[in-house]
Amino acid sequence: MAEQMWRVVAVFRVLALAYAAVLITRDHGNYAHPAAGWLALAVMAVWSVITIAAYSRPRGRQTWLICADVAVAAGLVLSTRLIEPASQISAGAPTIPSFWAVSSVLACAVAGGPIGGLGGASVIIAADIAERQALPQATLSNIVLVLIAGGVGGYIVQLGLRAEAAADRAARLEASIAERERIARGIHDSVLQVLALVATRGRELGGEAAELARLAGEQESALRSLVSGAAVPPPEGGQLDLAGLLEPLGGSRVTVSCPAGAVLLADAPATALAAAAGEALDNVRRHAGGDAQAWVLVEDDGTAVTVSVRDNGLGFTDGRLAEAEAAGRLGVAQSIKGRLRDVGGTACLRSSPGQGTEVELRVPRL
Amino acid sequence: MCPDSELRVLVVDDHPIWRHSVAAGLEEAGCVVAGTAGDGAQALRVAAATRPGVVLLDLNLPDMSGAEVTRRLLAADPGLRVLILSASGERQDVLDAMTAGATGYLVKSAQFSELLAAVRSAAAGEAVFTPGLAGLVLGEYRRLAAGATPGTGAGTAGTGGPGRPADPARPRLTERETEVLRLVAKGMTYPEIAALLVLSPRTVQNHVQNTLIKLQLHNKAQLVRYALEQGLE
Repeated sequence: MAEQMWRVVAVFRVLALAYAAVLITRDHGNYAHPAAGWLALAVMAVWSVITIAAYSRPRGRQTWLICADVAVAAGLVLSTRLIEPASQISAGAPTIPSFWAVSSVLACAVAGGPIGGLGGASVIIAADIAERQALPQATLSNIVLVLIAGGVGGYIVQLGLRAEAAADRAARLEASIAERERIARGIHDSVLQVLALVATRGRELGGEAAELARLAGEQESALRSLVSGAAVPPPEGGQLDLAGLLEPLGGSRVTVSCPAGAVLLADAPATALAAAAGEALDNVRRHAGGDAQAWVLVEDDGTAVTVSVRDNGLGFTDGRLAEAEAAGRLGVAQSIKGRLRDVGGTACLRSSPGQGTEVELRVPRL
Repeated sequence: MCPDSELRVLVVDDHPIWRHSVAAGLEEAGCVVAGTAGDGAQALRVAAATRPGVVLLDLNLPDMSGAEVTRRLLAADPGLRVLILSASGERQDVLDAMTAGATGYLVKSAQFSELLAAVRSAAAGEAVFTPGLAGLVLGEYRRLAAGATPGTGAGTAGTGGPGRPADPARPRLTERETEVLRLVAKGMTYPEIAALLVLSPRTVQNHVQNTLIKLQLHNKAQLVRYALEQGLE
């Protein structure tokens, strides 16, 4: 993008040089010093070659060279006063470099954006006004054109460079996501399956192998949630996929069942449901007994989203609620209820001895 | 349930260690491993050559989707039972394969004894309903109910209200079926559900199986309708 802009500046400079040459050839008969007119053209030609060559490489685009560019252009504009008769100048005749002076403004715009462009433009305009000591209509129009070239040109270059940087970032992000997915697929196809296998066969062998199996199983679910987490797209429009939040809770003791599609909920209720379900599962681990299994069911009937957490642990009777409170169990129930109340939902707890405990969390859809 | 010596199983998985270990485990348990395959095309060829009773199908195949393999396997041999084995996090793929006609679904982290029991149930033609599958099926019925009559309420659709008449092909769950499926999804076994609802375990199983058969018939009808609309025979 920047390279193309510098090429545009070079092309403009050559065309403007040709235009200045045509004007000097046509008008030199009227000049006070025709030879000085030819000399000025020679200076422009030599300076054009120098700048085009320097600007073609990034290392040649030095600030001092661009300032010198503007100074040379302003000097040539001022030299008009020495070459042309004063009567023609105040009548609005073109300056010696004419539009060639604008090429230095464009160089400022490409290098320094709108600020640089406007800065260069002011120098050239100041030189123009100083040279004429008057403001005929044609000069006023030219001033506006130079300001547009510097300001708008610089702005467009800046926009272009930003768009290019954004596209570059997007391409890099896409490449890194693709790479992450490729790694996730690889892990999924190899490491996860072997870990699952070790977990399965080890559990059946029993003894020490069962302990290794348990560890392999834990690593499998941790790794699985890590890899599948990498594939979960970021929330869209403030909505979160509740299924995506709850699935990582699954493991050797916990089964999470969801609909096939995403269960989209606003940020707050989705987070509250996931946190409450996590608390309920912690509670199962602590109180339901060592062998207890737990199941999490996510349902979305269009009017409400329900998350049920059931375990097949020890359970308790209503009469033992006080006891449960003493054991810290009710505190958790109150905390779960509080989380749901905050987002306009409900939580209810059911239990009977030997039948386990079920917590039903429900948030209505608005 | 047929004796294991007549139980011929085809193991399809793209991961060789898994494939061979499962095959070895099945043979140890007395089943006959009719063959193994690493991708969908190979599975179709081996199934045609060896005519197994049950196909143990991994969803994560390099060449085709699990639903595609299931559909083609059953088109070639409608008596075949396809048991889906999948890693978690592929819910839509599992549902697609199930509605394409698979008999059951197990997660790969299941114990080998569960896998063996599932293969035996599948061979006997019984749907293998894990809690995960029950959750998927419940979700699918809700999606169908929500998608077909927006705004009119699914409950009144069956009475043929003033608006569009209810689509007779759209499957619905009875209240009892919903109740049973929810209990399965919450991890209760058939005997536990039977005791809770005062039903026979056989009735519970029939309810569960019906929910899947209705979805599979609906899926088949959709495919036929799509084919007719596209001018295919």
